[in-house]
Amino acid sequence: MSVTYIDAIREAQEKLLREDDRVFLYGQDIATFGGAFKATKGLVEEFPNRAFDAPISEDAMIGMAVGAAIEGMRPIVEMQFADFSSIAFNQIVNQAATHFYRTGMPIPITIRLPSGGTPGSGPFHSQSMEGIYAQYPGLVVLTPATVSDAYYMLLDGVALDDPVIYCEHKFLYRWLKAKAINGDRLPIGQARITRPGKHATVVAYSAMVHEAVRAADRLSQDGWEIEVVDLRSVKPLDLDTILASVARTGRLLAVGEAFPWGGVTAEDVSRVTEEGFHLLDAPPQRLNARDTPVPYHPKLWAAHRPTPESICEALRKLLSF
Amino acid sequence: MPTVPILMPQLGESIAEATIIRLGVAVGDSVRTDQEIIEVETNKAVMGVTTLCDGVVSEIRAQEGISYSVGTLLGLLDVTEEEVARTGVESLESIEAKRATSHSGSPAQAEANLHFALDEDAYEESPAVVPSVKGLPVPTGVLGAHYISPRMRARMDDLGIREADISAIVGTGAGGRVTVEDLERFLDYLDEWPSSQASPMRLAVADAMRRSWTRPLATVGRPILLDRLLEHRRVQTPKPGLTLYLLRAFALALTENPTTAGYLIGDKVVHPRSFDIGVAVQVEDGVVVPVVRKVDQKSLSELVAEYDDLVDRARRRRLTDQDCSGGIATVTNFGTFGLTTGTPIPLPNETLILGIGAGVKKPVWSTQVEAFLPATEADLQLTFDHRVVDGGGAGHLLNRVSALLQLPDSL
Repeated sequence: MSVTYIDAIREAQEKLLREDDRVFLYGQDIATFGGAFKATKGLVEEFPNRAFDAPISEDAMIGMAVGAAIEGMRPIVEMQFADFSSIAFNQIVNQAATHFYRTGMPIPITIRLPSGGTPGSGPFHSQSMEGIYAQYPGLVVLTPATVSDAYYMLLDGVALDDPVIYCEHKFLYRWLKAKAINGDRLPIGQARITRPGKHATVVAYSAMVHEAVRAADRLSQDGWEIEVVDLRSVKPLDLDTILASVARTGRLLAVGEAFPWGGVTAEDVSRVTEEGFHLLDAPPQRLNARDTPVPYHPKLWAAHRPTPESICEALRKLLSF
Repeated sequence: MPTVPILMPQLGESIAEATIIRLGVAVGDSVRTDQEIIEVETNKAVMGVTTLCDGVVSEIRAQEGISYSVGTLLGLLDVTEEEVARTGVESLESIEAKRATSHSGSPAQAEANLHFALDEDAYEESPAVVPSVKGLPVPTGVLGAHYISPRMRARMDDLGIREADISAIVGTGAGGRVTVEDLERFLDYLDEWPSSQASPMRLAVADAMRRSWTRPLATVGRPILLDRLLEHRRVQTPKPGLTLYLLRAFALALTENPTTAGYLIGDKVVHPRSFDIGVAVQVEDGVVVPVVRKVDQKSLSELVAEYDDLVDRARRRRLTDQDCSGGIATVTNFGTFGLTTGTPIPLPNETLILGIGAGVKKPVWSTQVEAFLPATEADLQLTFDHRVVDGGGAGHLLNRVSALLQLPDSL
């Protein structure tokens, strides 16, 4: 028996519903239909009146969840695609994110964003929004890359009193499998060294962790030992782990699937340059998706996002500096 | 028919890449062994890529105007089995067969890592090294400690190590750079040698010399006769030191062309404000340079007391910062160590240093008596910052000093 990434998300919600009366699920077609990706399959049968179908208004969905949180509930809201959360942007960044600052009352909502690209999904169903939400004070932004992290980070996210943006990668849903959910449960805000190395550090998160590991595998054939750091949560950012890794390797490549202007990779590079300039043997580099909308055609899409090939090439350049 | 690769050859020790200037062949052309088929340019020279054997060009992968790293596949030749056997070249097929057997790790294992059916050709890793002002330049021939990364700099600062200290290290990093690991290895090696703590005086001299050495320094010299000077000196009370004669002659010569002692900074030459000349005094484990003021405006006899006081205090290490600042040039008498020649290094804030070697008795031809007569001769050496002064200017200055020393009464 194996557990997929999406199984872990479903099981975490099941456990939360079972153990915490304040938790309920809300989203489009998430009840009887079980969600567009089946992340909530069967949960409404197991927990009647704890999973609700929402109207097609993301704005109203988050507004309702904020209200429920004020009343003491811990809603988990599923956006059908991360891309559509932009319709709820005002409620998320102006209401939820600032509420505790304005009133002293926390808003413990968790917003699940099915994020990132899959072949043939095109501009409206492929985007990565973590960098946008990480910009706003008051939000916690989680980007699990493993089955166990998908499970534990959803539990930990719901337990937080702050509004949590939980970015789950659609590409990992069924591709990523584990034998079981293991006990490697790191706290939110702590990064993980996925693969140790000594010649260069790749800081990645979500699906890009797997692409980085594949790139590191290839380069290991040429004798390069690449360290891969999985950020796990992009906000808070575990700069200590990143700096410790760069201290070992002297070289940094930050990889992200989001668009290249600003964002998580820019933050990684800017913080390392600011606080770890003396650790660097080469200018820190970034690799992101290209600065165009996400293309529909699978071949264009594969050339749009970072791949093991392009990560290898970026690393070779970095290593040759 | 076997295929033989045309590779970018190793064109020199420090050459990592070369730019294709001209492709001399096209697909379908027959080529002969050692035929020059591609013209390439490195940062050092224009060279030819030659064929290893006879064959027919079946593919050209390189483009003109693009730089490729050493070992890059530039094209392919179709070659007969007999030719492969004759020349012993390695065909692409045999290279790939070797590569397949040397890579462990099962294909199934690799497959398990795949996300989903991704067309692996969709993104081709570019083999070409594209030098560019954007992003990361690829260093070629940048050997040793020419580039010090922030990391390397930080480690060197930790250890109090300067660039000049690590000139012995052969770098193993990208482009031959010295890495932190190279540095640590070198230091570990040095730990096996006896060592001692350098004195503050030693470190101060080291720092000054290191800073001065960043400039293009040149040294010129000529002999001078000392007899008249020594004769003049014999009858003086108190007796001026030989160095003081030199100091005075140097100052007077400089007044005739003060820009010779100018200091170049940016696009300006800073001129001497006053002809204050330093004198190098050897002390324990170092050298100090007290400065004699307005040497051009005082006679030798007036200078003796001031000079002797400075030298005396220098030897007793009683000089103040004031005593050692503001000089425009320095005089050093290494003849006192029995040396006849030297290439002194000016202070980092000065353009000139004038040295004198030991006087040596020599037969010198006299046109008056048509015979060799014994004379005392010494070599004058002038080191100058070649950015400011040229050989002509330096020579003129030395000749003037020499001429003035022949007229000791005028000093």
